[in-house]
Amino acid sequence: MGKLLIVNGSPRAEKSNSKKYAEIFQSFWPEKADTYSAVSQKSHALFSHIQQYEHLLFVFPLYTDAVPAVLLSFLKELETVPLAKSVKIHVIINCGFLEPKQNEVALSILRYFCKKNHLVFGMALGIATGEAILATPFAFLVRRKMKKFVKGILAGKSETLTTAMPLSKQLFLKASAQYWKNYGKQFHTSEEEMRSLKIEGE
Amino acid sequence: MNLLLSDHSFPKDLPQKEENHYIDLTQLQIKNCLGCFGCWVKTPGKCVLRDDAVKVYPLIARSKNLIYVSRLYCGCYDEPMKRMMERAIPMQQAFIRLHHGETHHVQRNVVEKKAVIIAYGEIPKQEREIFKKLVERNSHNMLFSDWSISFVSEEHLEQTIRAEVDAWENC
Ligand SMILES: Cc1cc2nc3c(=O)[nH]c(=O)nc-3n(C[C@H](O)[C@H](O)[C@H](O)COP(=O)(O)O)c2cc1C
Repeated sequence: MGKLLIVNGSPRAEKSNSKKYAEIFQSFWPEKADTYSAVSQKSHALFSHIQQYEHLLFVFPLYTDAVPAVLLSFLKELETVPLAKSVKIHVIINCGFLEPKQNEVALSILRYFCKKNHLVFGMALGIATGEAILATPFAFLVRRKMKKFVKGILAGKSETLTTAMPLSKQLFLKASAQYWKNYGKQFHTSEEEMRSLKIEGE
Repeated sequence: MNLLLSDHSFPKDLPQKEENHYIDLTQLQIKNCLGCFGCWVKTPGKCVLRDDAVKVYPLIARSKNLIYVSRLYCGCYDEPMKRMMERAIPMQQAFIRLHHGETHHVQRNVVEKKAVIIAYGEIPKQEREIFKKLVERNSHNMLFSDWSISFVSEEHLEQTIRAEVDAWENC
């Protein structure tokens, strides 16, 4: 099976959804996995022992349709260090919108990174509605797919799985509006203020 | 308004006009987005990080003609441009709408854009294909009504920038 390292590529590492997805992953992974946060910028310490990992699992959010800049920076550094010969790369990506296909470009970027560096790409899981799904009754869908994702890694497969809240577009618009209104309330920001068209500097 | 945003130096003698803005990202201090959503839920339309990015996104919002100049990395904008794009989300609201049949954020006062993206360096075919798909996806989130991509060598970059800036005259 081999040791596995989870690289959290979210800028809000400790408070991230990526961290929650990584925890769900760990609940199915048969051994204890190590974790590293790309935003911590402690790659030097990590790279001294990175060759022990047979699997690198990148868990990150979709940022402007692609990979977050913090993760790009880590990938560039990673290119410069030797990895275990048989290492496999896996990806869990989550995005805010409804359609899983919105994650596809970011997955191609990671696939290209692997090709360029002669690394084997293993399993991918693309989660849409990833900002909110874990706080809804649909969280079980993520757990179900995660179990399949882990099985895939253990069986040496290379597949792309996807999941999202099974909502119609209209229902998703309503549910997401409610989600964000509640988010604003925590900061005493009204819906009207959040709907402001003004951008600073106008 | 017209904006050139570049991660590479550009000719010093571009036409000086009130409606033209030229920004060299290498001269700015721009931190990574914190992912805090403060610009949506705390101080709508305003980023909580007060560095140079806050001078840039209001200009992006107001520009009708936009030229992005960026190196690529694995088919993605390289870090400086990517970082700036992430810091530009105060231009959007948290709320989501249907746009081209897909879910996307509602834009604040953002002018529809004609975007020209100049990607420079040695860029293999596969990387170009990924980048084209990325720009197509961006076009929905960044309100591009029309967009084109030029892949150029670094050597031809200055002349390409100059030609694209000159083309603003005819818009
Ligand atoms: C700067 C920024 C850019 C984002 N861009 C997108 C995007 O292009 N598409 C999308 O569906 N979600 C986008 N999101 C939403 C995140 O992908 C989503 O909230 C995710 O759950 C965050 O995960 P994290 O907590 O692990 O960082 C963006 C969020 C931020 C802060």
